[in-house]
Amino acid sequence: MINIYESVSANKRKSAIIIVFFVIFVALAIYFISQAFAMYLGYQPGGLGIVGLSLIISGLMSLVGYYYSDKIVLTISGARLASRTKDFEFYTVAENLSIASGLPKPKLYVIEDSAPNAFATGRDPEHAVICATTGLLQKLDRTELEGVIGHELSHIKNYDSRLMSVVAVLVGTVALLGDWLIRIRWLGGRDNSDREGNQLGVIMLIVGIIFAILSPIVAQLIQLAISRRREFLADSGSVNLTRQPSGLISALQKISSDTEPLEAANKATAHLYIVNPFKGKTKSAVSTFSNLFNTHPPVEDRIKALRQMA
Amino acid sequence: MTLTWILVIALVVVIFWVFSTYNFFVGSKARIKAAVQEIGNQLKRQSDLIPNLEVSTKGYLKHEQEIFSKLTEVRKSIESAIKSQDVQKMADAGSKVASLLPDIKLVMESNPEIKGSEVVVKLMDELRDTSDKIMYARRLVIDLTADYNVKRVSVPSSFIASMFKFAELPGLITPQEGEHVEVKTEETKTPKISL
Repeated sequence: MINIYESVSANKRKSAIIIVFFVIFVALAIYFISQAFAMYLGYQPGGLGIVGLSLIISGLMSLVGYYYSDKIVLTISGARLASRTKDFEFYTVAENLSIASGLPKPKLYVIEDSAPNAFATGRDPEHAVICATTGLLQKLDRTELEGVIGHELSHIKNYDSRLMSVVAVLVGTVALLGDWLIRIRWLGGRDNSDREGNQLGVIMLIVGIIFAILSPIVAQLIQLAISRRREFLADSGSVNLTRQPSGLISALQKISSDTEPLEAANKATAHLYIVNPFKGKTKSAVSTFSNLFNTHPPVEDRIKALRQMA
Repeated sequence: MTLTWILVIALVVVIFWVFSTYNFFVGSKARIKAAVQEIGNQLKRQSDLIPNLEVSTKGYLKHEQEIFSKLTEVRKSIESAIKSQDVQKMADAGSKVASLLPDIKLVMESNPEIKGSEVVVKLMDELRDTSDKIMYARRLVIDLTADYNVKRVSVPSSFIASMFKFAELPGLITPQEGEHVEVKTEETKTPKISL
């Protein structure tokens, strides 16, 4: 039995710890890789210039996604605007929970797809979008729908799209840097003979290359851990709004037990949904290892956490 | 030299913290006030909505005049609550509509043709929605006041609260004593449902 306020703050604390860990790791990786660059290219500023360049490239790639994520996702998924008359439950539940959370009502969209699922996107609460499939709206009752919409509204309230895009920029930076360092080795680089005997330089180079190979994977794993922690946080935020864990529990059960694949989803948008739309395949492998590569915690774990609040 | 810098930075951090904590308290107060107004806003919506629902469903529920007189009564008490600007009265009025729902449901159960009618289903949906809206508007007042009151007494923000004399806010006023905080022996038994 956990108090809902405690659950929200515990999830916030854990999430902050992972993020701090992530930032430290990215800083270390960038430092070592750029040191290796400096050793390799033979001059110090080169390293820093490359870090800046990779940050800019990775930033530009994510900036577009950050500003237009709502439009891009909606275009890809082929969603239509929800109306009060046609989607009464969806519209009014979202309206009501926005009142409870003190947020402006997000734009609401519906995807014509019989697989039940929902997601939220947008860079801040003023530009937020909540999207639900027709399958979700048909299969869930009002209490369950409140749980799902509460989850999405909590994502919006916690600025999760913003956080995840900053994290993605950093992961991209590390990946680009590592990639370049490995490529530059293949290209041959410059003659090493004048640095013979500089043992520290060689060690730095080796450490840099190890980081170049490993850090993109490690950074991505931490990124996924952050994503999973934010899901738990959104779950407890949802209960904080509705005070009815049972609604979200049975909604999660319904969504995850539904075997129909979501046609509108693809790998790029999978992490946005309330339950991973590519389910079924990983169900037998609920081992800790395979969980490392998931954007969402296993539904069983989420239900267990929700039960403790009930 | 470095010591002065450290002191300057520390001072800036402290000043920044004092400002942001102060802003939290005044900001919370403003938000709570807005949230109370939101309750009034939702009640106003409800009292505008009910006559319209009455008109559109009257034909279907001719022989159930009692429900309509109850609805009218509820509407009147909501209107007087809005006029009084009293948080507690608004809250009470809001819960009255919710208490009507079982009555309407009973009527529907006893008349199969009414149960099937789209108009009546719509009436139920709208009534539930409007009472939900008021419930959630109240929840915002409760949550915001809880945040404010917790911050007011927890260290270190309590120093700012006492320095600028931020008083504890009541939120939604609920009697501390009475039936709702007592559990009677018969209520502890698991209810048996006989069909």
